[in-house]
Amino acid sequence: MKAFNNQNKAWLMTMLVLMVVTFVFSMKLGAITITWEEIQSTLSKWMSGQEMNLQERIFFQIRLPRALAGVFVGASLAVAGVLMQALFRNPIVEPGLIGTSSGAAFGASLYFVLGAVMEFNAGEWTLPLAACLGGTLSTVLVFLLAQNRSSGKSSVVALLLTGIAINALFLSGVGLLSYLARDPQARSIIFWNLGTLSGANWISISIIGAITLICLLVALRYAKPLNALMMGEDEAVFLGVNLKKLQIIIIALNVLLVAVATAFVGVISFVGLVVPHLLRLMKGSDNRFLLLGSALLGAIMLSLSDLASRLLLAPAELPIGIVTSLVGVPVFIALLRKKQYFF
Amino acid sequence: MLEPQPLASFFKHYEMKKLSIVLLASLITMGCGRFSNKDEKQANEQRIVCLAKQYNEIIFALGAEENLVAVDLSSTYPPEIKELPTVGYHRALSTEGILSTKPTIIIHDNNVGPEQVMQQMEKLEIPMKVFDAPGNDIPSTKDLITEMGAYFGKEEKAVAINAKIDKEMALAMENLKDYPSRPKVVIIHYGRASNIYLTMTSGSNAGKMIEWAGGEMAIDGERGMMQLSAEIIAKSNPDVILLTDFGYDRLNGMQEVKNLPGVSTTKAAQNNRIFRVEEHDMVYFGPRTGEIVMNLQELIHKNEGL
Repeated sequence: MKAFNNQNKAWLMTMLVLMVVTFVFSMKLGAITITWEEIQSTLSKWMSGQEMNLQERIFFQIRLPRALAGVFVGASLAVAGVLMQALFRNPIVEPGLIGTSSGAAFGASLYFVLGAVMEFNAGEWTLPLAACLGGTLSTVLVFLLAQNRSSGKSSVVALLLTGIAINALFLSGVGLLSYLARDPQARSIIFWNLGTLSGANWISISIIGAITLICLLVALRYAKPLNALMMGEDEAVFLGVNLKKLQIIIIALNVLLVAVATAFVGVISFVGLVVPHLLRLMKGSDNRFLLLGSALLGAIMLSLSDLASRLLLAPAELPIGIVTSLVGVPVFIALLRKKQYFF
Repeated sequence: MLEPQPLASFFKHYEMKKLSIVLLASLITMGCGRFSNKDEKQANEQRIVCLAKQYNEIIFALGAEENLVAVDLSSTYPPEIKELPTVGYHRALSTEGILSTKPTIIIHDNNVGPEQVMQQMEKLEIPMKVFDAPGNDIPSTKDLITEMGAYFGKEEKAVAINAKIDKEMALAMENLKDYPSRPKVVIIHYGRASNIYLTMTSGSNAGKMIEWAGGEMAIDGERGMMQLSAEIIAKSNPDVILLTDFGYDRLNGMQEVKNLPGVSTTKAAQNNRIFRVEEHDMVYFGPRTGEIVMNLQELIHKNEGL
């Protein structure tokens, strides 16, 4: 990371420390009181493979995966946000724009309403699979439909508009399904669309964690072409960027990040939109810095939101999508009102 | 090209302060109500969390509520139940939330979610109980009461409750002779959104109760509830309209209900036969169903021949 000056390094280190602190809080606090001694004994029992008591199992099987889910999902949504905003050179883009999250929501709704009669059944993995497939399908659809028939190329504007159209299509599909649904199914759709980290387990965490780290590393390789793209499509091509290849790679990364995270935790809005913006306000728009910084700040923001969602109404629970929007919207509005702000 | 802005100046922005005050205030108000109820049962050995409104009413009727430590948000009868802590909406549960009430057993009727949370609790081997009888008609509700009576060691009380149901249902059927007419009834649930009404259908539990009360459901359908336009309500032209508590109270009573599009032209509006019913009386069967049916008989035949 020769590219970073000392100031940028200092920012990243500060955020890393903050992230670790937030993670520790998120691991420690919840509806059930867990003491430091219990955390210690859980970890030592885990290392030595001893039998855990109920309190320790709650920490190990529920609290810890959930705290990790906050970190990984927050990071993956924020990184996806940076990628999309850079590719579209547009500040209002969020990761769901090219249809991924509405497609995932449609897949999940289909499972809620028709799950009982569908042939397709993979046990507890059916819902994440249905959501992930829905998200991938809708994004592929956007990408294919946005291609210009004669040249086979797709302009960024065409992608953006096709994305908006396909989003509307899949959201009305979700609407239709919740209209057709029986009452309990309709409620499941509503709650899924507000997201929750409460269902995290070690398998889902391993999948989300691996995808997040791999995608972040790949994305960092494409930070420079994305920086070039900020000057304009023609200028980027002139600088030697293969636009079509860049588009495909960035969109593929976005689908992986968003579809996998959404498949396990439901739709969580505003993290992908707001986090990159906050960083731009602090340190400008070098995508290399933005990618790393967003991963850290996204993790911090989602962990904090999840803490709020599990503590405010304990022992009941507030869907996390409500919390992120409650925090995200005022920040976003304040941003828009700030006139000196450039993308 | 661009001037990086320090974060501090952004948060100093006065609007940010105003917004955060509003945000804080709204979060504090959310902390009120049933969510802040305190658990006062510390010493009990048995600690039951029950997540089904039908079961909860039966638990109270059996007098077995002593060990009940928390319920779901939709359990609202009897009124005392609102003093218990709630673990939230029955399809948006959280494992830690439920476990923080230290249950020795969780009772539910399978209408619970999300799925992953139920799986987590299975993995933690938290004891759970679902009763066999579905409780979706009178015989099966009586079976459910017998089953629950045996479970809680209140067999005698269960027999008494079932006898009461039988007696009151018989009485209700007997009373039907005094009501020769069969008024057409529409039940509007929750209220409305842009002239769409969420109505209960003939296939719902409420539909069955109306039938026993000597009425006829104007809206046919197998699914429990349907969203209908104002036109359909007007065309079905019911003799009686019942609104569940939430919608009726929000409209401040009959006069405003009568002015609603679709409702205003019906016979029910013209003859002042629009009434309030409690939602928790109409959505499941239980110890009071006979009573409720008799009350409904009176209600849907009120103001007849005006």
